[in-house]
Amino acid sequence: MIAQSDIPRLALASRRSILTKLNNGLWLPVAVVLALVVFFSLATDSFATLRNFTAITGQAGTLLIVCLGTTFVVLMGSIDLSVGAIVLLVGAASVIILNATGVGWLVLPVAAALGAVLGLANGLIYAFGRIPSFVVTLGSLSIFSGIALQILEGRAIQFTVPGFEEIAIGQLIPRLPNIALCALIAWAIVVFIAERTRFGRFMYLIGGGENVARTAGVPVRRYKIYAFALSGLLAGVGAILAVARLGAAGPSLGQDLLLNSLAAIVVGGTSLAGGVGGPQAR
Amino acid sequence: MSAAAILERPKLVVSNEPPPLFRAEGLTKRYEANTVLSEVGFTVPRNKVVTFVGENGAGKSTLFNILSGIVRPDAGRMWLDGEVYAPQGYGQATAKGVTRVFQEQALIQNVPVYENLLLSEEARFTRLGQFVDRKAMIAAAERMVEDAGLDIDVRRRTGDYDFSKRQSIEIVRACLGPVHLAGIERPFILLDEPTSALDRRDEEAFFRLVEKLKTKGSLLFVSHRLTEVLEISDLIYVLKDGQLVAALDAQEADEATLHGLMVGRERAADFYHERRQRRIDREEVVLRLDRLDLPGVYQDVSLEVRAGEVVGIGGLLDSGKSALGKGAAGVEPPASGSVVLAGGAPAEPQIGRFVRAGLGYVPAERLTDGLIAPFSVAWNMTLASGSDLLTSRLGLWRRRHELATADHYVRQLRVRSGTPNLPCTKLSGGNQQKVVLARWLARKPKVLILDNPTRGVDAGAKEEIYTLIRDLADEGVGILLITDELLELIGLSNRILIMQRGRVVTEVAAPADAKPGERELVAWMLAGSGGATDTLPHAPSQQKIPA
Repeated sequence: MIAQSDIPRLALASRRSILTKLNNGLWLPVAVVLALVVFFSLATDSFATLRNFTAITGQAGTLLIVCLGTTFVVLMGSIDLSVGAIVLLVGAASVIILNATGVGWLVLPVAAALGAVLGLANGLIYAFGRIPSFVVTLGSLSIFSGIALQILEGRAIQFTVPGFEEIAIGQLIPRLPNIALCALIAWAIVVFIAERTRFGRFMYLIGGGENVARTAGVPVRRYKIYAFALSGLLAGVGAILAVARLGAAGPSLGQDLLLNSLAAIVVGGTSLAGGVGGPQAR
Repeated sequence: MSAAAILERPKLVVSNEPPPLFRAEGLTKRYEANTVLSEVGFTVPRNKVVTFVGENGAGKSTLFNILSGIVRPDAGRMWLDGEVYAPQGYGQATAKGVTRVFQEQALIQNVPVYENLLLSEEARFTRLGQFVDRKAMIAAAERMVEDAGLDIDVRRRTGDYDFSKRQSIEIVRACLGPVHLAGIERPFILLDEPTSALDRRDEEAFFRLVEKLKTKGSLLFVSHRLTEVLEISDLIYVLKDGQLVAALDAQEADEATLHGLMVGRERAADFYHERRQRRIDREEVVLRLDRLDLPGVYQDVSLEVRAGEVVGIGGLLDSGKSALGKGAAGVEPPASGSVVLAGGAPAEPQIGRFVRAGLGYVPAERLTDGLIAPFSVAWNMTLASGSDLLTSRLGLWRRRHELATADHYVRQLRVRSGTPNLPCTKLSGGNQQKVVLARWLARKPKVLILDNPTRGVDAGAKEEIYTLIRDLADEGVGILLITDELLELIGLSNRILIMQRGRVVTEVAAPADAKPGERELVAWMLAGSGGATDTLPHAPSQQKIPA
């Protein structure tokens, strides 16, 4: 039953400004962040410096890029535990390729493609094997890290191409490391994909009601695979940028991403149950 | 008898009996500017079954919420057994002997039945004030189940029982809890659509339980199923737009009168628009099933639907007719057999491809298969068009086109949402079903497979859906109608196929001027399958099953 009185209120809701959004509970996290900023600015001299903010954006870049892809997987009601391992494996492989060929920044598309292939493998096993994504990606996490450690022989390998680090730590825009710039560009593209494309809509539909979508003829299985491939692709991009920033690929590369990526996605408003949220929560 | 004539009668139908079990005066409830209940006053005599009927949105749920203490009225007073009754919550209502069976099941699936039956009553079964006495609980639960005449092992996991049995468990909890456990002498039990989920055998047990409870207290029903209402009730109240428009003695009421009072106009004699039924002769075959087979579910089913034709499939709940619909649409493809769609080549059914080729499928379970309720009307209406109509070649979503489409169908089908952006959770069942239908209309389909298209839909919306089906047939859409509602099956179909245990056992012609009788169809559904009466779909219950 619909209460007539809901209609004007909902019409109003669609025209909500940021102010009303803040009224609706969003103010607390924002206030906490502001309080932390104030606290650390007062507590230490080195926090409120431009240099530090530049460093933070650099560190957060990889996390954002990786999360943007994984968000779709979570949005459609699945989970990807293997992104950290994909970052490690792609990072390791790219360093080897880089040192062997000296291709420079051209390794970026290669890394992206490699990541996409790894994600695709996840997606194929998940969609055709009808195995829960948690199990599939937990397994591939072990496999990918195992292969990576084999490649690295357990130690960090530096790249020898001079100037390669520029793609991550160079500053096309002063004070904004390129890695953060890349992350922002990726964010814009991914938000566009989520809001304006068939792929984005299908992610919401599958997450909101997989059965309903399938019954209405949505190619659910195919799009599930796409989502994992996209997640892998962005993890690949994140990997090469992380390697460029650090100057090497080591066994600990991407280790913190497993928890951090899921935390960022969920805190960012995407429900683990699927169908709610997205790269830009509305 | 007209509505006005009834209204002139005094509202207190019963006057010279002992004080009524329940009485209400001037109950009013507003939500902001919207009055959902206005000055509703009525009486529930002792030892009677009283039913409220009304369309969705008439205020039945609000009334029940007030009686069960969940919502407080803005004005009005209530008396229970002669004493002022003003519950401050569901707990208080229950303590006074007013219990309620909710429409949505509120049972915990993973615990044994007895724990559900005695939920929140555990304190009565403790030793030393702490330790739960399971044996005593099981014994008490067994007494309840026995009293209700149900065949249920209270120690089994609740989720092991099917939906119908679980509904029975819920009814027993609400009905017998107060009598058995709280020692309430005259319970007052509120039942919201209690039988809609019951199969035949459980329904009979339920009716026996009602008779038994009537000797103790009174029951208040809300129901859509008018035939059943007339049979079971002593007194019927009609709510329309928040007002009590009529009080009828069930003995003198009939279905058409009730319908007229609820909807505000007389039910057309031609409810199913039989006169609009098309004569089908040499029209093009738009759907042909060729030997569809899914072992253990349906076997070797072949049939044809021509343009403008409505082919009905009837059968008991285990006849495999719903599965056949899913198979033909390619939602759950058959093991073998092929389907020819609108002049195409024979193909293995596959929903995605079939949708693009002009097929639409409306599933029976609206909330699990038909509609993503938290999503907006617009999103649900365009759900099936994402692969073609609503996206450009580059895969970009045509948002303006989406809104225009949704806007159009909200208006054409009179979906009472006001805006395409409203989440479907805010809509009544009838309006939700219109959204599902609009999804397919937007694609101009050639074939529609409808599985129980009016399930959980109120009488007004039902009529609109029937009109829509006739409109579609006029446009040359071939319709395969799978339904549990016998009257709908007979009224709408050009031909009726009866399935039994996965096979089509007969075909009955149903031309507009010579519709088959219900008895004939039921006889076919049951023929040679003695003892299957418990799975009979919702035939009007005065229908006696031929031996």
